[in-house]
Amino acid sequence: MRAKHWFYTLPLRLRSLFRRDHVEHEPSEELQFHLDQKTRVYLAAGLSSEEARRKARREFGGLEQAKENCRDTRRVGFIETLLQDVRYGLRMLHKNPGFTAVAVLTLALGIGATTAVFSLVSAILLKPLPFPNPDSIVLPELVSPPGVNLGSEYFPWGQTQFRLLTRDSHPFQAVAAFQNDSFNLTGTDDPASLDGFRVSADFFPALGISPSLGRAFTTEEDQPGHEYEVVLSDRLWREHFGADRTILGRAVRLNGYAYTVVGVMPAGFLFPRAEEMPSSFNFPREAQLWVPLAIPEAPKGGPSELAVIGRLKSGLTIQQAQAAMELVTKHAEAKDPQWKGWFNTRIVPLTRQIVGDTQRPLQLMLGAVGIVLLIACSNVANLLLTRSLGRRREFTLRAALGAGRARLIRQFLTESLLVAISAGAVSILLANAGIYFVKTFGPSNLPRLREVTLDLPVLGFALFVSLATGILFGLAPAMGATRKNLVDSLKEGSQRTGVSPTSPRLRSTLLVSQVALALVLVVSAGLLTRTFFHLRGTNGGFNPDRVLTFQLPLSALKYVDQSHIVAFYQDALRRLRSVPGVLSAGIGETVPMGGEGESTGIRMPDHPAATQKELPFANYTIISPGYLDSVGTPILRGRDFLDSDTADSMPVALVNAAMEKKYWPGQGALGKQVGPASARYPLLAIVGVVPDIKHISLREETVPEMYVAYTQKPWPSMLNLRVALRTKTDPASMTASVREAIRSIDPDLPLANVATLITLTDDSMSQPRFSMLLLGSFGLLALLLASIGMYGVISYSVTQRTQEIGIRMALGAEGRNVFGMVMGQGARLVGLGIALGLVAALGVTHLLASFLYGVQATDPFTFAVVSLLLVGTALLACYVPARRATRVDPMVALRHE
Amino acid sequence: MSKPSDLVQGTLDLLLLKILALEPMNGYAISLRLKQVSGEVLQVSDGSLYPALHKLEQEGWITAEWKPTENNRRAKFYSLTRLGKTQLEKESANWGRLSSAISNIVKLKEA
Repeated sequence: MRAKHWFYTLPLRLRSLFRRDHVEHEPSEELQFHLDQKTRVYLAAGLSSEEARRKARREFGGLEQAKENCRDTRRVGFIETLLQDVRYGLRMLHKNPGFTAVAVLTLALGIGATTAVFSLVSAILLKPLPFPNPDSIVLPELVSPPGVNLGSEYFPWGQTQFRLLTRDSHPFQAVAAFQNDSFNLTGTDDPASLDGFRVSADFFPALGISPSLGRAFTTEEDQPGHEYEVVLSDRLWREHFGADRTILGRAVRLNGYAYTVVGVMPAGFLFPRAEEMPSSFNFPREAQLWVPLAIPEAPKGGPSELAVIGRLKSGLTIQQAQAAMELVTKHAEAKDPQWKGWFNTRIVPLTRQIVGDTQRPLQLMLGAVGIVLLIACSNVANLLLTRSLGRRREFTLRAALGAGRARLIRQFLTESLLVAISAGAVSILLANAGIYFVKTFGPSNLPRLREVTLDLPVLGFALFVSLATGILFGLAPAMGATRKNLVDSLKEGSQRTGVSPTSPRLRSTLLVSQVALALVLVVSAGLLTRTFFHLRGTNGGFNPDRVLTFQLPLSALKYVDQSHIVAFYQDALRRLRSVPGVLSAGIGETVPMGGEGESTGIRMPDHPAATQKELPFANYTIISPGYLDSVGTPILRGRDFLDSDTADSMPVALVNAAMEKKYWPGQGALGKQVGPASARYPLLAIVGVVPDIKHISLREETVPEMYVAYTQKPWPSMLNLRVALRTKTDPASMTASVREAIRSIDPDLPLANVATLITLTDDSMSQPRFSMLLLGSFGLLALLLASIGMYGVISYSVTQRTQEIGIRMALGAEGRNVFGMVMGQGARLVGLGIALGLVAALGVTHLLASFLYGVQATDPFTFAVVSLLLVGTALLACYVPARRATRVDPMVALRHE
Repeated sequence: MSKPSDLVQGTLDLLLLKILALEPMNGYAISLRLKQVSGEVLQVSDGSLYPALHKLEQEGWITAEWKPTENNRRAKFYSLTRLGKTQLEKESANWGRLSSAISNIVKLKEA
């Protein structure tokens, strides 16, 4: 019935809307016909033509009223009124270009910043992961036994454990282990070092993504001896193989082996990226290729290096999966007591793993941008209020002519919504710039940063914010301006004093809250700035100036055992040291700020561990003589490794200060013994103590670390060490000659991850730098908006008080008295705002605690400096109107109405 | 919109629909017919007739067309739509119920 009704009436409504002239004139013609008919009847009855027409008119009643009533029934009332209001509003905005520009720009800044931040939130938190049914993808992570500090809460899986899991009845539809590896691609024009992953057969099924070309691995290929198959990323396929579709079935040389290409993944599939997995895995930025992991049926043990990912059987909850995993643990412990305490898992949804730590920075951003938006809104509200006072007569007149209050508010709101929507349009540009800023300066560990765009949900959000702000800042002035008693207003309007007592209070409240909010934001920015500079000044235990670092991924095929590897490094070090411009060269398992090294259980004869649980842990890092020199780490006591420390001489070790302090406080570590927990390995004599070198971030807590000479290292894998070179001049410019030196030893060996130590250090600070820049720019914006608001309020009040000032001057007040009076008014407002802001800031900044380093959340210095800054800015904003007040000519002011 | 005070609310609509159900007519003819059939009892002022007609048109119950009259002038002729027919049935039924209810009450004997 309803639909049918519309079927008939919609065309009429549309006609009413778009053929207005028709609607206006049609009734006239129809009524005219009626009158003419009547007139004819009276003429026929013998009346004169004049009389006949008059009689017809009289009988008809109010002709114009009838016409208007006819029109009313046909008009689409709501839309018509809206259009009328919009037309009127646009005219008003057009007539006040200054007001319009300031209001639109102010709001656009607020909305634009908010939209940019929301685009981040949308990409990181709201968009589902790009996998089918992403909620059932989980990471079963191994949890450290209680009381054992491995440096991180989770530790990697071992091959044996993974086999125990897959052989038991587990809660996964598909479960896979994977570990990163680097692959030297040779046989093309330019040997390249590629980051890849060794993955077990169910890796792609667990994620639910199949190759766009070819196929994934079969279970047979995931067995030792059959694993020479490779799946390429779309990017690798395009960059190195020219997107050649015939690549399938062809062999490529990786680390010297021939791998058959079986598939190419869809564009954008680069799982796992470093930021998607726990940082303790130290994974490369993104995956470029995948090869089978090929865990043997009966793994021999060896280091734990695996990450595990699984897709839950359909319908299983996290709790059920957790319970199933506890059974797996129980079975493993029953089979072999060595797993006691070392096989506890926690099921972590992949989504939560990825979002994990980013929630806090996002909250920080949202909070900051919310403050900016609030300031912008209150600023525009103030502007509107100012203008509404000037338009009071207009409103009074409208009210006197019969406009209801609701109608007036509606018109007022239409105008503010017009401002808000124009601001929304401008803000899209600003948001775009903001997104560019975030993508450029955003910390690389922010997941899914690449997915940030100005898409439909984000645009919808911008529209929503525009409308909401339009109502927010429009409603208060609208209520205020229309509340007036008509009679009072008419009386008031004729006098010049006409500021009603309520308006200044509202305006002052808005201003004070702007100042307070700006203070909170600028204090936060100040704290983050101090954190950043404090971090920069922090000693990480190394000297980053003029150091070049890179990785040498040796092929296991060519360097089959320890002696080959050592011989290569000895040769490489000799040649590198002779490159002109190189001051010293060294090799290490890690470089400072280049990532975490390995951690292992250790034994110390003078600290025997009673139980497995009390086993002490330390970072275990292989370095060469000259490494410490190269990264600029001094020897505190004892000596560095020497070329004379060889496989045949006494095994020696260096320890860091944190380790000495923990285990040998007061007596010194020199001469003490330490070794890996397993008695298979010999004890090492400590011959030197070095400062604590930080690995990932300058703000990290240092942990005990021991260093072992690469020539004495009994550990199996040394194929992927890093080189550090201290140079005379700009280290980056040395890359070519260094590459040449390495090529002269092994022409197939690429240099991977070439970076200066300065770059690595800078990268490690990208998060605090980003927080600082972000809050800094928001703080600046807040300061700017608040001073515009200040200027507006004071200068309006000067205009309002022109007459009063004139009288004062006529009575003998001097320029400086007037100046002082105006400045005093500003100072009172600012003082109140700052006082409130300080209280609020004290309550808020502790939320920042986790972002701060080396500075208290209530740092008095920051609070004081920011308060002074705000006072200065505000007084500057008052200065111009105050100067103007002193130039008031008493005669002109008094004659003024 | 002003309504004739001596007509029960909504009855004008019913009358107009009923008249137009007989044959399509222009406004002037409708006003004549109203007076004629009600024996001059129902006085609908011309001023309220047209808004009422336009309202019915907006509701989709009647439709209008400009056509020449017998003396060759253009006039707007209204006719009932299908939707209007349903509406007429509904309103007549309503009216029947209402008027019989009222007359029953009026006829009650005083005790």
